[in-house]
Amino acid sequence: MAGKFFLIDTTRCTACRGCQIACKQWNELPADKTKQYGSYQNPLDLNGNTYRLVRFAEYPSKKNSMAWYFFSDACRHCLAPPCKKKADQILKDAIVVNDYGAVIYTEKTKDLEKASKVIKQACPWSVPNWSKDQKQMVKCTMCNERVDAGLLPACVKACPTGALNFGEEADIKKLTKERLAEAKKKFGDKAHIEDEKDVRALFLIVDDFIKYKPMEL
Amino acid sequence: MTNHWIDIRNSDCILIMGSNAAENHPISMKWVGNAKNKGATIINVDPRFTRTSSKADIYTAERSGTDIAFLGGMMNYILSKDKYHKEYAANYTNVSFILGPKYDFKDGLFSGYDPKKKKYDKSFWAFEKDANGVPKRDLTLKDPRCVFQLMKKFYSRYTTKTVSAITGTPEADLKKIYETYAATGAVDKTGTIMYAMGWTQHTVGVQNIRMMAMIQLMLGNMGRPGGGVNALRGESNVQGSTDHCLLFHIWPGYLGTPKASLVTLADYNAKNTPKTNDPLSANWWQNKPKYMASFLKAMFGEAATKENDFGYSWMPKIDDGVTYSWLDIFDEMYKGNFKGFFAWGQNPACSGANSNKTRQALAKLDWMVNVNIFDNETASFWKGPGMNPDEIKTEVFFLPCHTSVEKEGSITNSGRWMQWRYAAAKPPRGPKGDGDIMVELFEKVRELYEADGKFTEPIKNFRWDYVKDGKYDPHAIAKLINGYFEQDTTVKGKSFKKGTLVPSFAFLLDDGSTSSGNWLYCQSYTEKGNMAARREKKDPTGMGLYPEWSWCWPVNRRIIYNRASVDLNGKPWSPNKNILEYKDGKWVGDVPDGGWPPMSDKEKTKRPFIMKPDGVGSVFGPGRVDGPFPEHYEPLECPVPKNLMSSQRMNPVAPVYGTAADEHYSCDPRFPFVGTTYRVTEHWQTGILTRWQPWLLETQPQLFVEMSNELAKLKGIKNGDMCKVSSARGKVEAVAMVTGRFRPFTIQGLTVHQVGLPWCFGWVYPKDGGDSANLLTPSTGDPNTRIPETKAFMVNVEKLGKRRA
Amino acid sequence: MALTRREFLKWSGTAGAAAAAMCLGFDLRPVKLYAADLKILKAKETTTICPYCAVGCGIIVHTKKSGKLLNTEGDPDHPINEGALCAKGAGLYQMTVNKNRKRFPLYRAPESDEWEEIEWEDAIQKIAEKIKETRDATFTEKNAKGEVVNRTTGIAHVGSAALDNEECWLLQGIMRALGLVYIEHQARI
Repeated sequence: MAGKFFLIDTTRCTACRGCQIACKQWNELPADKTKQYGSYQNPLDLNGNTYRLVRFAEYPSKKNSMAWYFFSDACRHCLAPPCKKKADQILKDAIVVNDYGAVIYTEKTKDLEKASKVIKQACPWSVPNWSKDQKQMVKCTMCNERVDAGLLPACVKACPTGALNFGEEADIKKLTKERLAEAKKKFGDKAHIEDEKDVRALFLIVDDFIKYKPMEL
Repeated sequence: MTNHWIDIRNSDCILIMGSNAAENHPISMKWVGNAKNKGATIINVDPRFTRTSSKADIYTAERSGTDIAFLGGMMNYILSKDKYHKEYAANYTNVSFILGPKYDFKDGLFSGYDPKKKKYDKSFWAFEKDANGVPKRDLTLKDPRCVFQLMKKFYSRYTTKTVSAITGTPEADLKKIYETYAATGAVDKTGTIMYAMGWTQHTVGVQNIRMMAMIQLMLGNMGRPGGGVNALRGESNVQGSTDHCLLFHIWPGYLGTPKASLVTLADYNAKNTPKTNDPLSANWWQNKPKYMASFLKAMFGEAATKENDFGYSWMPKIDDGVTYSWLDIFDEMYKGNFKGFFAWGQNPACSGANSNKTRQALAKLDWMVNVNIFDNETASFWKGPGMNPDEIKTEVFFLPCHTSVEKEGSITNSGRWMQWRYAAAKPPRGPKGDGDIMVELFEKVRELYEADGKFTEPIKNFRWDYVKDGKYDPHAIAKLINGYFEQDTTVKGKSFKKGTLVPSFAFLLDDGSTSSGNWLYCQSYTEKGNMAARREKKDPTGMGLYPEWSWCWPVNRRIIYNRASVDLNGKPWSPNKNILEYKDGKWVGDVPDGGWPPMSDKEKTKRPFIMKPDGVGSVFGPGRVDGPFPEHYEPLECPVPKNLMSSQRMNPVAPVYGTAADEHYSCDPRFPFVGTTYRVTEHWQTGILTRWQPWLLETQPQLFVEMSNELAKLKGIKNGDMCKVSSARGKVEAVAMVTGRFRPFTIQGLTVHQVGLPWCFGWVYPKDGGDSANLLTPSTGDPNTRIPETKAFMVNVEKLGKRRA
Repeated sequence: MALTRREFLKWSGTAGAAAAAMCLGFDLRPVKLYAADLKILKAKETTTICPYCAVGCGIIVHTKKSGKLLNTEGDPDHPINEGALCAKGAGLYQMTVNKNRKRFPLYRAPESDEWEEIEWEDAIQKIAEKIKETRDATFTEKNAKGEVVNRTTGIAHVGSAALDNEECWLLQGIMRALGLVYIEHQARI
């Protein structure tokens, strides 16, 4: 398989939002007008101008009175991306996968505006979006131009605590094993990696996934 | 910080209290996390569960304004359970000192209190001295009048039951935290404190910090890796601006501003130079006359001579017993006592406590100059809410300036690291660099004074040889700050030619032969070059000191008081905590805090706390205006009718201002909830720079008020509802953030609710963002520092109809 | 194209020979129609320190030769942040490249409800005149006790913890040379 992988160890995230803004900065994305609706999370969801979003979800907890989950959400760069499968039915290779596994929305997606909703729905996490500004479909690019030049993706570089990690498959899988063992010790057996076999962005969480991305905000 | 950012990784137990480090110093969590991954325990105490709390091993809540009670209980635990480092405390602190007969404490008051003046006579707290004038000591710590025994008795009053009733923290949590932190009293463990405005912005601010410093001294954590007292400073260069003393009461290098009664420089030196009769005390401040003379030579150059007292009388003096602090400025301004005002790179209309008072004060000025990057609530105060421009005569000048990436110079971080940075981007046409504005302005003023004017000496004689062709040159000023030999000089057996940069403050003299803009920064720019610009990554001790990355004061010593990290023989108290060691007749590791040999050499040694006249750490602090031992008092506005510790409800010497804009109430049903203010990662201070940046505003678009589920239910408020938050001084509209991260407290058997707001919004922009939370806060402050009490006051919260944001 | 050793090592990292060759002008990779150009490829790199909190993180500023700001990101060599940045530091670009920056001096006349643009020379002249006028009107040689004080209490100054050390020192010097005693800034609050 090989290629590049992310490990997102949510147990280390402090929600500094360096990743969210570094992504905006690197990709020169505009900001949207938002409102305070009673949460630190903004914007509400991934969209045409936001490729990485830190989600906030809080719950009462026996330990330390509260648990506040932070989830740096972005494209999983699936091994068999359902968005590509759907898009290929309409326009082949508008979505491509490069030699190290980055799922990339090419300029050809400018012709997929009408199909953008079904492509978005094809994704288990509704990651794909239509960008009004760029007039094409957009999402996390894995900063492939940076990776090609031997640099880290902007989000990973910005992360101070080792929540975001990136590298070759073997290295990331080794790291994932270590971190998962630590997390199980600290947080219990609910600690796990989401969709481990299907994605290149491995999320380490310590509770059910629904707790990190509740339907009701 | 006594230590520095990377050193946090060397800690076994990190107490984050009075700070929300994850949100306000986010990258510090890299080093907190590093320590945690190596097995350190992270403890966080905060009225609210924050992003920092989410990463703590132990979190508990305490009511805002009760830190001394909390820590007093910890001291009680440490002393009664013998958790302190005996040898360290006996030798390196003043716990062995004997108090004179006049020292006493009764019912919340120390001896020497004058209720009319609301002031203490500190002479009542003096130590017993022997025939040689050296404090008497009992190294066994058994004498009932020694500091140790008096302190033990003092803090025995802070039982966990009492502390819990004051703080609202459950007793079980108190015990757990005390036990965990006190374990760092073991020699092979060190604990550190990360604190910030959560401790300073109180009428008992300084005593909050003193309490922790005393705990660190008792546990033997001062001067050691992973220990120390780490103040997380707030701004990129607030450390530098404090060192260079843009403050009324000190001149660069923390030289006390001369009072009017000190007529000559000799009078000043006699009064302000500490003395000691202890031959083992280095009493480094005895060198003050050298630093004063060198500073005056930096101010007035060749014009400063021995004959004219180096220009001492040209410098403005403050009156004895009068303060000229921030709170005083806006109080006087409110009363109409200023004509002109500079708000240079600051936004007081939002940042100072009691914004209404500040804004109304600005309207009484004749003129104001605001230098900034963006429009802000101070510059535009005259068209703000409640202002009628027709009636405001103030002339206002707004001068646009460069951003940090458009100019060259140095800034000093919280760890005292002076770091050089370069101009990167070409500035747009229009704005100027602050330095250029200063040069142009002063040259113009001097030009106007050529013809006539009052007392022109200081203006004509202000040293200006570092300005060539009207250009601001940061290198030239950095060199002057370091200092020069102003004539051929021989000192310490070495000869220096006129014009040579002074190699360190050990070479400064009091006879006018040296200049130094700031003695603390002497060694930062020498004949070897610009030390602040260094980028070497060597770390010879492996403890994260990075001695050749940038330069830190003093003399590149990375951990101060580091000679307390070794025992009397110069060996680290524990081999795993080695940043300094005396080996083969010399010190190896960090720059030693004085090169004298260890204390086992009774002839040549000096005690390790060299900046104190007695050479030891002050567990008993006779120099603070509000007492030598921290004692719990309630804030100016508090939710309970009495202070459980004594009949002194609030700090007996705290300044309280009394204009019409200064109303304050306690236990008033109109303002039943405790209010506090804080920051968020995504905005910066008043938001003056960050509200204008779309990426940041997108993440935090509007003012919110965080409140508990219980309080929300009580007031019929739902998450996202628009609310009015009001105090005796003002009101703001904020979006309700109903959260389990605030819980009601039980204080003295009563349910007390607390709410909090960030103070990063202002009416200028965005229009729907909300205004400053400082509209709520009171103008009272700490009696030593006069930092306003913006962390604990009383408010009301009400729903605003059916409106949402 | 001349590369510094540091740039070369950085770019020849995990991507290996292909990327390194690309930097040197040879493109050995198959043509990728969708791969974006690295916008900082030929940029000038300048080191700076973040202007926000007091951690003092290192930042690299990428600019065009003309001085136009292209990009800002963490300095991986800096021992404190090792390339990491929080939301504010990561977005530093937008403080400088921002259409809301004020470009020219502004003046508000007494009782006016609006700003007017004025020339720098004008602003400096007027402010200097105000300083002299106020200082001369409020200068006190001796206080009520007859002690020499040589000060003006008619002007106050606040600011700034956002200035460089060299600017701070110069500013305290200027204000004290003018005789001000009410001098304060962010450290006091």
